[in-house]
Amino acid sequence: MKLHILDHPHPLIVVKDGKKYFYRFTFDQRIQHIILFITVIILVLTGMPLKFHDTAWSPYLYAMFGGIKSAPVVHKTTGLILVLLFIYHVIYLSYNIFKEQLLPVKKQGGLDTAKVLKILAKQPLVPNIKDAKDIIDLLKYLLYFTNKRPEGAEFTWKEKFDYWAPFWGMVVIGLSGLMMWNKVLTTKILPGWTINFAMIAHSDEALLAALFLLIWHWYNVHFSISVFPMGTVFLTGYLSEELMVEEHYQYYVEVMTKAGLENEILPPHGTDIHDLEKGRPPQ
Amino acid sequence: MERAGAKLVTTLIYSLLFSLFILFFLSANSYSADIGNCLLCHKYPGLSRIDEDGRMRLLFINEEIFNSGPHNKVKCEGCHTDITEIPHKTAKKVDCLVVCHIVEPSSEQKFSHKDVATSLEKSVHGTYDKNGVLKKFPEDMPACKDCHDEPLYRPISFFKKVRPGFLEQALGRCRVCHKKEEFIQRFYSHVTTRLHKSRNPLNIAEMCGRCHDNAELVARHKLSTRAAFSYGETFHGKAARFLSEEIPDCLDCHVKEGKDVHQMRNHEDPESPIHTDNRGKICTNIDCHPDASPKLANYKVHSEFNREQDSVQYFFTLFFIVLTGGTLLPLMGIIFLDVVRRFFPHATFKRKG
Repeated sequence: MKLHILDHPHPLIVVKDGKKYFYRFTFDQRIQHIILFITVIILVLTGMPLKFHDTAWSPYLYAMFGGIKSAPVVHKTTGLILVLLFIYHVIYLSYNIFKEQLLPVKKQGGLDTAKVLKILAKQPLVPNIKDAKDIIDLLKYLLYFTNKRPEGAEFTWKEKFDYWAPFWGMVVIGLSGLMMWNKVLTTKILPGWTINFAMIAHSDEALLAALFLLIWHWYNVHFSISVFPMGTVFLTGYLSEELMVEEHYQYYVEVMTKAGLENEILPPHGTDIHDLEKGRPPQ
Repeated sequence: MERAGAKLVTTLIYSLLFSLFILFFLSANSYSADIGNCLLCHKYPGLSRIDEDGRMRLLFINEEIFNSGPHNKVKCEGCHTDITEIPHKTAKKVDCLVVCHIVEPSSEQKFSHKDVATSLEKSVHGTYDKNGVLKKFPEDMPACKDCHDEPLYRPISFFKKVRPGFLEQALGRCRVCHKKEEFIQRFYSHVTTRLHKSRNPLNIAEMCGRCHDNAELVARHKLSTRAAFSYGETFHGKAARFLSEEIPDCLDCHVKEGKDVHQMRNHEDPESPIHTDNRGKICTNIDCHPDASPKLANYKVHSEFNREQDSVQYFFTLFFIVLTGGTLLPLMGIIFLDVVRRFFPHATFKRKG
């Protein structure tokens, strides 16, 4: 069963085998993410042996990519694909915001700088006050001051972190990488010591990005017991009802209400079933 | 009588044939200059002893390796001049400046490495400074054997591409005038070996690092960096680590073009290639970055995470260290709390109403 809401091109809720799945990512976004993680993994595997060149494992890992003759070519080619993906993503994002949000306002004849900034600030991935509140609420939950998880919106602070960290990383790593790749051109304009700074930024930011993805992102999408061994939303574009309730409860209620399924809305994550049985409101 | 004469002739013929037979097999291995028959004992791989300092000294000479090196025509006593009888007493350390019996073909003089020692003495590694005053800690300055060991020939072929080994086409041209195969191969090896470096960049960096990464020596001579370590942190050093032979090593920048390694100068000497005025020419070498601006040479090859050396770079690096720790540690804390929380999903300090 597929439930369409308004004029949305995709069914927002799909029911399969009696379970509800909620639409999260477009096909285009999923392809972008697949290219992103494949290129990042190759870049980490071909970059880290250089950063940790004096370790015992680095020559073996580097040899898997053809050693000093081939691995730099693999790294640069993959880096270029990632830079192109980043440029595509920025164009894709700008075009969609312009077409779907700015243009209708412009057609109404009322587009000025203040309105543009207001529209940009309301984009679903732009951090806001609710994110700060959710972080505090999560800490309260994790430290047992409450047993109620924060009720996440369409995109939680974790996802915004996952989005903006690589976004910033790609600007820093991409620019510094291009500077080092084209060191002859760079030093026709800038002094030679800027290459030292580019190398520090490239290497240290890459380590931060790699650790961030391996520890934080992989915990949230692979190792957390809610999703272990792997969340499937990045492939299907749809998130299960359980995870919607756990991470995006506010958005879940909105979507269910829009779909006219108010009666089927589940209680928030962590609600003690004994409380419900005794008629107590969820904590 | 006739019978005795015939027997003598037969014996002579057999002796001659036997001698030719022996000569034939010996000539196949006639590179060695082992006139003193030192290999009679030193050919045994286990030959060793414990010296006065308690260290194991391996006395075995691998004839095959020795014969493929440039000293293969120098007889043992040519360098071990104190050995005059067999069995001999403890041999003294070899003095590389000794005049050996080999004749240098261009000057037809007996050969010695003395000129090299003279060059070295005038270089940054000499024991006297420019004013002829003995430097502090002259014993720290390198002597021949601090950098060199017994070199081996590594002949190269370059017919269409450069590769290891002998080039038959070139040897064919040698044979037009030269008839002695042993001479042709030795001369070919000598010339072509000198056309490339005998050590790869990693070996050279490690060799220089024996002194230049020694914290005690670096401090004693007030050097601004651990040179081989900081080189290792550059792309050149990292490529050297992965055994690139094309990447520049210490000598490519610190030895002036056309000069030899023993004439290395202090960076403040206007003759030094790394002097501020000359540095631009190093990177723009035709085999390196020919299109580069001289500004490329302002890249700091020997920079370290050291506030005294470069405070801006120090704080720039520190920013990333703090950013990494500041980002990951709180997130790891949240992961830890989340893992624990999932064991007690309903637990709370808050009292139920």
